[in-house]
Amino acid sequence: MKVDKTLVASVALHVLVIGWGLISFSARSLEAPPPESMPVDIISADQLSKITAGIKTGEKDQPKPLVEKIADAKPVEDAVGKITEKKEIVTASAPEPPPKPVEKPVEKKPDPPKPVAENKPKDEPKPLEKKPDPPKVDPIAEALKSEDTKKPMPKPEAKAAPPQPPKPKQERTFDQSKIAALLDKRDPTRQSITGAALNSSASLGTTRGTAATLSQSELDAMRARLASLWNVQPGVEHPEELYVTVRIRLNPDRRLAAPPQVVSSGTSARYQAAAEAAVRAVLQGQPYTMLRDETYEQWKYMDIDFDPKQMFRS
Amino acid sequence: MPVTSFSLPSLPLNRRDILIGGAGAAASLLLPSLAGAQTKLQITEGNVAPLPIAIPNFVAGSPADGEVGAGVAQVITNNLKRSGLFAPIDQAAFIEKIVNIDAAPQFQSWKTINAQALVTGRMTRQGDGRLKAEFRLWDVTAGQQLTGQQYFTSPEYWRRIAHIISDQIYERLTGDKGYFDSRVVFVDETGAKERRVKRLALMDQDGANVRYLTRGSDLVLTPRFSPSTQEITYMEFGQGDPRVYLRNIETGQSEIVGNFPGMSFAPRFSPDGQRVIMSLQQGGNSNLFVMDLRSKSTTRLTDTPAIDTSPSYAPDGTRICFESDRGGKPQIYVMPATGGAAQRISFGEGSYSTPVWSPRGDYIAFTKQGGGQFSIGIMKPDGSGERILTSGFHNEGPTFAPNGRVLMFFRDPGGNSGPSLFTVDISGRNEQRVPTPGFASDPAWSPLLS
Repeated sequence: MKVDKTLVASVALHVLVIGWGLISFSARSLEAPPPESMPVDIISADQLSKITAGIKTGEKDQPKPLVEKIADAKPVEDAVGKITEKKEIVTASAPEPPPKPVEKPVEKKPDPPKPVAENKPKDEPKPLEKKPDPPKVDPIAEALKSEDTKKPMPKPEAKAAPPQPPKPKQERTFDQSKIAALLDKRDPTRQSITGAALNSSASLGTTRGTAATLSQSELDAMRARLASLWNVQPGVEHPEELYVTVRIRLNPDRRLAAPPQVVSSGTSARYQAAAEAAVRAVLQGQPYTMLRDETYEQWKYMDIDFDPKQMFRS
Repeated sequence: MPVTSFSLPSLPLNRRDILIGGAGAAASLLLPSLAGAQTKLQITEGNVAPLPIAIPNFVAGSPADGEVGAGVAQVITNNLKRSGLFAPIDQAAFIEKIVNIDAAPQFQSWKTINAQALVTGRMTRQGDGRLKAEFRLWDVTAGQQLTGQQYFTSPEYWRRIAHIISDQIYERLTGDKGYFDSRVVFVDETGAKERRVKRLALMDQDGANVRYLTRGSDLVLTPRFSPSTQEITYMEFGQGDPRVYLRNIETGQSEIVGNFPGMSFAPRFSPDGQRVIMSLQQGGNSNLFVMDLRSKSTTRLTDTPAIDTSPSYAPDGTRICFESDRGGKPQIYVMPATGGAAQRISFGEGSYSTPVWSPRGDYIAFTKQGGGQFSIGIMKPDGSGERILTSGFHNEGPTFAPNGRVLMFFRDPGGNSGPSLFTVDISGRNEQRVPTPGFASDPAWSPLLS
């Protein structure tokens, strides 16, 4: 018998290819890598908007470091000049004069800054929430003062060393009326820093632009007030059924414009008692002084959910 | 006791009130459409503090009624205070003196003392000798009447009127039925510890009006109320074996339940009052039997070589819970009321005994022994949600208030002292001692009398 060699070759090749495919593909198909589990938080649209809003508010914190950096740069130059003056005086001229200027600035500067630094955190949050026009000038000036004072404190030692090389400024030190000169230099630093501060105020301004939304602190304060007034009975049966939603309309004076309205529904006597307890809490809570004028449109109408379920988890 | 009641109508509103109300209704109709983008605020934590309530002395309809007016207010105050859900305000703080209950009170003067609810009432002796009691419950915050009722009764039942009014207030403000118009039967204990005399006694739930039902010559245990509140069943050590008795409270007549060869004990009525379920001793074991009180026919429910006892019906009568040591230590089991497969529901450390099903069906209370302590606790009928309410040297024998929100039990501090009665909320709050003339044990709470 004659066997067609090409047929044999063809069969052999097919067997090879199919056999290889069976083995390799079947082997691969077994290697199904287990999908990595990913932690997922399910949030509502409200929560997402709050989170994104949180970034905007986060900028309020950023302006502070920005101001410091800018201020650092400018005052560094001035401070360098001052410090170099002092040290040069020490080296070039008699030792007596240098210590005096060193002590004086150190004493004078730290004294004002301390109160300023303390006031600063207090003042800043207020302008963020409210829109006081005059305060804008004050916080900046205060910020500048505090920056001035803060910088000289650490810098005299650390940054004193590098500034020494620039000697051209040493000539300035020869000028008399050192105190007056120092005062003069402070003024320009304030102006220059105000320029830097304007940026920060601008960023504050932008946050104010979006700040017409109810802040979490306002809501938390209102929530805390209602929680303290909401009387819940211990041992009530089926607390999960006693979910009460109260709709309120508030006047700008933060008092109820109309009697609270229960918009959820339930028929049992227990539900009626729960609804009345919720209404009592809302009535007692007024005026809601924690709400700001700027956000009136946000709190003019509110739906307040009273949910006792979590209190009775056993 | 004849008590007739009528509901008091709300006070007529004047024209201005109606106009304001109409405006409010109109505004509320507009609210949903106006309220497109409301802010949602969710309150998930509340205040479990008791509700401040003002209860001035009831106005005397005639000069002779002043004493009863003060007495009724005092009983209501005591009831609501003991419930733990209300905080009655000291009368010394009151600004307004209520002189006419047919006029609306000055709500502002009650708001000033932080009252959220106000009770006004009047007691009037009628020409026919009966006593008329009227009361109104006001929501001080909302400035409106919540409920109003009037009752007629014999003057000697003024305390019961006060309990009924307390129940009305409790129900209107909590949404749950009250439990103040109820009684407790218990074992009164007097004398030295070695020669303790035990008598069956009956009292109002607040400890008033104590009556003794037996003389104390024979030892009595485990009294239980019938649903009609007219009869009790209990175990008494007579001449022979201890037996289950049935006693009519009013007539004092008593009879032995069934005629069994051995000891019978741990009786309890079925919810319809037609049957008594109990344990019968058979050798070293005991099994559960139920007897129909009319036909006297007896049905065996369990047949095990173990001690099955302390049976208690579910409020719908379809199932029973009981205690059995068939698994080794005493545990709680649930089975159909007609017998059949029993399912163990208690699985915690220690042993469980004296189960009793709540009148509202949601819990089974028990005594738990373990770690050298006796505890009172509750669990759901499927065995989940076990919660210990109180623990100590010796706590035993829980019984539910008619609304299922309060438990009474007895506590023995040990030593030469004796047991006394306590109540505790099913959330574990508000433990209160119940006043009794002497030592007391084995309480059983009646259903509501009315």
